[in-house]
Amino acid sequence: MNAKRLRKALFNRSKLRAVIAIFVFLVLWEIGSRSKDWFGFAVPWIGHVPAPTAVVVAWYGLLGDPGYWQSWYMSTLRVLAGFFAAMLVGIPLGLFMAVNKTFNGLVFPSFEILRPIPPLAWVPASIIFWPTQELSIAFVTFLGAFFTIVINVLGGAKSIDPRYFQSAQSMGSSQWDVFRRVVLPATLPSIVVGSAVGMGITWEVVVAAEMISGGGGSGGSGGGLGFFIWNSYVGGSYEQIVVGMISIGIAGFISSELLRKLGSYLTPWLRKR
Amino acid sequence: MDQNQTVALLKRSMPFQTVPGDMLDAIAKLARYESYARGDVIYHQGDFADDVYIVSSGTVQHTLGIGFQATHPEKILHSGDVFGWAAVLDNQRSRLAKTVCMERTELIRINGEELINLFRASPETGDIVMSRFATMINKEYTLPEEVAGHVPHFTQVPVTMATGLTLTMFRLSQWLKSPKPYLMFTGFGILLATWYFTVEVWKLPRFADMPGLTVVMKEWFSKDPVYGLSFYTPEYYQHIWVSVRRILIAFFLATVLGVPLGLFLGWSKTFREYVFPVFETLRPIPILAWVPLAILMFQGSETPVIFLTFLASFYATALNTMLGVETIDESYSRAAACLGASKWQTFKEVIVPGAMPFMFTGLQISIGVAWFSLVAGEMVSGEFGLGYVINTSYTMVRYPTIVIGMITLGIVGYTSSALVRMAGDYMMQWRVRELALGGR
Amino acid sequence: MSAVLQKAEKAEKGALKGAIRIEDVVKIYDPEGAAVMAVDHCSLDIPAGEICMIVGPSGCGKTTLLNAIAGFHSISSGKIFLDDELLCGPEKPMAQPGSDRIVVFQNGALFPWKSNLDNVAFGPLMQGKLGKKEIYDKARSMMADAGLSGTEHNFPGEVSSGLRRRVEIVRALMNEPKVLLFDEPYRALDSLTKSVMHEALLEIYYKNKVTIFFITHDLEEAIFLGHRLVIMSSRPCKPKKIIDVDIPHPRDYSVLTSTRYRQLMDETIELVHEEAKKAFSAGEKEG
Repeated sequence: MNAKRLRKALFNRSKLRAVIAIFVFLVLWEIGSRSKDWFGFAVPWIGHVPAPTAVVVAWYGLLGDPGYWQSWYMSTLRVLAGFFAAMLVGIPLGLFMAVNKTFNGLVFPSFEILRPIPPLAWVPASIIFWPTQELSIAFVTFLGAFFTIVINVLGGAKSIDPRYFQSAQSMGSSQWDVFRRVVLPATLPSIVVGSAVGMGITWEVVVAAEMISGGGGSGGSGGGLGFFIWNSYVGGSYEQIVVGMISIGIAGFISSELLRKLGSYLTPWLRKR
Repeated sequence: MDQNQTVALLKRSMPFQTVPGDMLDAIAKLARYESYARGDVIYHQGDFADDVYIVSSGTVQHTLGIGFQATHPEKILHSGDVFGWAAVLDNQRSRLAKTVCMERTELIRINGEELINLFRASPETGDIVMSRFATMINKEYTLPEEVAGHVPHFTQVPVTMATGLTLTMFRLSQWLKSPKPYLMFTGFGILLATWYFTVEVWKLPRFADMPGLTVVMKEWFSKDPVYGLSFYTPEYYQHIWVSVRRILIAFFLATVLGVPLGLFLGWSKTFREYVFPVFETLRPIPILAWVPLAILMFQGSETPVIFLTFLASFYATALNTMLGVETIDESYSRAAACLGASKWQTFKEVIVPGAMPFMFTGLQISIGVAWFSLVAGEMVSGEFGLGYVINTSYTMVRYPTIVIGMITLGIVGYTSSALVRMAGDYMMQWRVRELALGGR
Repeated sequence: MSAVLQKAEKAEKGALKGAIRIEDVVKIYDPEGAAVMAVDHCSLDIPAGEICMIVGPSGCGKTTLLNAIAGFHSISSGKIFLDDELLCGPEKPMAQPGSDRIVVFQNGALFPWKSNLDNVAFGPLMQGKLGKKEIYDKARSMMADAGLSGTEHNFPGEVSSGLRRRVEIVRALMNEPKVLLFDEPYRALDSLTKSVMHEALLEIYYKNKVTIFFITHDLEEAIFLGHRLVIMSSRPCKPKKIIDVDIPHPRDYSVLTSTRYRQLMDETIELVHEEAKKAFSAGEKEG
């Protein structure tokens, strides 16, 4: 029975199909990108992209380069800074808006007016305002995650079944108790979702901000994976562009997964039996 | 509470809203005013149902008895809400619910018999009020057609339900009478005032370098703007149009490709097992990381920008559509199979409409990310467009124009989302009505 | 005389089809893993036109049986026949869903995006055997028969759940099925609505004489509606006792206060309660 189960787990049909699909994708990519050399004409779009094999070679070379890992470090730092700032401000704000109708009426419409402005549109204003480039990037990162987190917290708090409040009250809870034991835990799943999405947005914004401001030529306090990609492009090392892209993808994926695990830990009641 | 206040309260309540003035006066004369403290029970289930109640101020908790299961077995009633209508039903003489005050509450009560007598004297008005009662009942109970059968008629015309339009108008008037619009404008006012004061009046350290409210407004509305962009310059609209056009193309492509992909990913397990892994591997890569690659892949400066916007939109649409299919209750496809539908018919009649709510949510998200990516793309490598405007305004030290660009982006972005949402509401009439009747 | 009895007297006796034979059916979930036996050598003969009430605690596998007949689940062994035709068996573990056995679902499966009328017309429209006009005429008249006229153009989400159930039954009947499979359809309704639904169902039955396979855990409902009660043991599911309800059809609500009804309740309540306790202590999850 055990060997059978093991075999089933390893050669799971869906895993197999996934592997096949990715393999096919890589093969097509390789062929397409080598098309100029092999067939004499470049396949549109893919023909101009560096080949996966070349990328792997470049990546191997970069593994020993401290500058590469420095970029990882810088980007991660910025993401975490912006993200936590957004959580720190956004969660309490969202909860307060959910709980206090007057405050909500006051703040929410203005919030909704500012929200459609893409975070990156704030970059120039942010650069003017903040003394250092680092802070301006951090601010824009903060904005990106902030709106998402608040919206998710609000949504979560609004959909709390009123019966939870009623049972708490009928058991004699004070306002603070109700908040701590009903509102907070009930909103937690939405906070988790909001932060996962917010995390994704944070990465987007960091990369963009790094490319825009770092790529603006200052180079000094640049660094970070976004800058790395842009620099590779400008410097003509196209394989490194792809290395950078995949690196960010991995970083983003890891951070989302960690968040999800953390969220699952904090909300054990949501786990399936 | 005096006669005028009573009439005002009646006018605010759903059933009595459209009653003519003299009738309202007559009803108001029947009304008795009562005051309760927190925790007081107004009546218990089973009590004799004599009066109809309207909440004047305070909060009442209305709990239907155990034999019943309505849409909302427990409701909270506020000022303007009516309850206790068992008193006006033909053969309902006992209370269906228990009502308790949650805080200090003031009510008016009107005797059911006397109310009915009034209506007998003015049958048309009576029927209007009763039809509105019937609508309230319809909203709340699982057996309205049974209970509605006991709603008395006064003319020969049968009782009908209030239409969606009157419900909307009613809600609108309630909104206008609530503190909400005033808070909203106050909120705006505070925001603008903060901007104005910190930059132009107090000239706080970092704020002083920012473009101020008056400067921006003057520029935006001037016929001959210093930096070249205002409501009066054609370039302004050109830039808006360039951005909008890119969004339209990208969004259209993303929808046309993303929706079918999402539908198939959700529908066919085989397809999903092959395609989804590739999709998910590429997805974590931030859209903007694609910029250099996009520049390499596509000719010109326009296509890469549109490609980036498309990519962001595409992911959101496809993912949400797939989610939409996955969350369709399998009972629906099973029912279709029972009823003789083929696989393809099930797809067309069940899967596609069933996925629509999620799909439209996805489209709203999709247009949001489209703007996000577009602006970034325009800032990095574009000519014309709002993102480009913002970026160049910065490099050319035309600060007020930055703000004009930002605000314009906000307005245009919001409008496009709203349009998508309205399209969704139009296409999913069934859901709009279902949600409206659900109350939340 | 009550409305139901009057209508029943007017109903014709249609041709009786739809006999179900369940032969030694076993269903094991996840045979190579947890191996949960949901149905344990269940055999049951349901004659055509009978209202057969399957009673038992939640989670004991009754739904699995229903799903096997409908064609949504496969069976591990045994055979199920409909009118001597094999639905599923050793060579064919899963039946093909079809309009001869239509399910009325627990939480209702009226398509929320179609109007009531469109829902009712759905089956014949998909099967394409009749013309569109014919189908809609028939749909309208069947809805009128069931007291549903006036609601044709509402969406299911706009009307009460009691009404939705009735529309769903009419939707099924449009296809002239041999068997109606009910999976605790009235579970979520309040008791007032339920009694109305019961009378409505009987009315429909007297006109159409389909075989009804009705799962419930409400004993009152079971005795009021059924010709026979099959009391199932808690997981695994197996008929524990079969009780004939010898109260004559057509029935109306006056049955509820009759002596025979009370007697039957007394007989059966102990049995059902026993099984319910077992299921409770086994920690069965609803569903």
